[in-house]
Amino acid sequence: MANRLLDRQARLLAYLTSGAAIFGEEGVAADPLLGIDPALLHLEARFSHEKRMEKISAAFPKTLQMLGANRAAVIRGFVEACPPSDISRLANARQFHEFLLARWQDEAPEPAHLPDVAACEVACATVRAGADEAPQEEGGTRAPPFGIRRHPGVVLLRCRHDVRPIFEQDSQAVPVRRDTPLAVVMPPGAHGVQVMELLPVVFDLLSALGDWTDPATFGSAPEASVLIRDLIEHGLVEGVR
Amino acid sequence: MTTNGSVPAVGLGYRSAIDDWTRANLDRFDVLEITVDHCIHAGAAQRAAIFDLVGRVPLTAHGVGLSIGTDAPLDVAYLDRVAAVVERLEAPAYSEHLAFTRVPGRDLANLLPLPKTEAVAEQIVAKVRAVQSRVPVPFLLENITYVFEWPDSKLSDAEFLNLICRESGAGLLLDVENVFLNASNHGFNPYAFLDDLSAGLVREVHMAGGVTVREEPSGRPFLADSHSHPVPDAALDLLAYALGRHRPSVVILERDDRLDAVDEVLDDLARIRACVASAQLGKRHGEPVAGSAS
Repeated sequence: MANRLLDRQARLLAYLTSGAAIFGEEGVAADPLLGIDPALLHLEARFSHEKRMEKISAAFPKTLQMLGANRAAVIRGFVEACPPSDISRLANARQFHEFLLARWQDEAPEPAHLPDVAACEVACATVRAGADEAPQEEGGTRAPPFGIRRHPGVVLLRCRHDVRPIFEQDSQAVPVRRDTPLAVVMPPGAHGVQVMELLPVVFDLLSALGDWTDPATFGSAPEASVLIRDLIEHGLVEGVR
Repeated sequence: MTTNGSVPAVGLGYRSAIDDWTRANLDRFDVLEITVDHCIHAGAAQRAAIFDLVGRVPLTAHGVGLSIGTDAPLDVAYLDRVAAVVERLEAPAYSEHLAFTRVPGRDLANLLPLPKTEAVAEQIVAKVRAVQSRVPVPFLLENITYVFEWPDSKLSDAEFLNLICRESGAGLLLDVENVFLNASNHGFNPYAFLDDLSAGLVREVHMAGGVTVREEPSGRPFLADSHSHPVPDAALDLLAYALGRHRPSVVILERDDRLDAVDEVLDDLARIRACVASAQLGKRHGEPVAGSAS
């Protein structure tokens, strides 16, 4: 049974995704049952790790930069705690984000606004991938004859710091600490993801609009119609007439 | 899918990062290769952009997510999604790598070799038949590049491919760059490999260019299949040699990195076209093509 191909493949992947194989630690031998040159396994492990980190770096350029001197230790911890389980960029990005959140439970993030930056970056990756943009027939609530709902491609975030300058200007900007309701969205016709601040009341409205809703619910005041039209124009809400 | 019944169609692996450029240059490609996994995992906009190409240019279908070599049942739900994409693309064939990338709970997302034995070949043949039963177009297996070999491998690369394709009816997507890299990295004669492939096996071809890395700690140069640089002349020589022995219907240039260097992409396509034209001329005049197994 130990020689079954699946067992050998599982042993190989366990080794190739280990810190010992990826970082080439001396004195840590490869699984002798594999019978493969450890130097070549190290090379394979390094190639695979670099491909995975390319996916993660593409999603978290600012977070990784802001990790600074801790970056190597964080990545090492990530490798040991989270073996790759999915091929997609977004799945790897989410896995890295969950790892960071768990780490920050035990170790205060430095700088303090780093969790907000990471949350924004994973939200951007999600919006970019259109991961939440499930076609009607694949799931979710079927559209009624008329109604509005939050656009499925929008991600809402409530941040403790106003991190928008980091995204709009540069990573060195020091964000102000204040409760900041944000929407991460790909507006119609835009070529890139945008991070926009919302009024708290709009944030709450969008939070409540997960399902199709009759716009008459918001009353017949002209201000309500103007607001809904504005939200549709910004890609925050989709409507069926 | 040939340009005029005998000359291979020459094209590019479609990448959404250069979608605008690809559309602006559509007349330069006889065919585009679509990665079915991009259709399966992409957002609606990216999927729509891919399906918008149907009818504008012939498309062929290639996969990276099957992991046919994993010693576990195939993911039939994935295969059914592949079948739907292939149908939507109106692709004449579907190709995948003869490799494994994952085991339950762990996905390396990198192609790994299989032990080249008759027993493993038998397992793969059964899997190929399962694929053929769910995806109703010809199925092609692609030779991969590999860093290491399993110690119990008994068959050569060509013997392993010949055996699986003969028993299953699969065709071969010959990745010429991978032959070039493996020959360089593992010290075998790439022309002998091409000679050893069964006649008529090669249905499609991949071309690409990689980089040289240093193997640690020995410092030995190792060629990596990065799809990032121009196709090396030695790989074009191998293509010419292969075209003297096989009649693929499609030759695809793969490019995944440094995509902004579009002039390199166009130059590679021109070089591949010249190689294809030269091989056709050689066939007409009965002349030998470049390279030699001796």
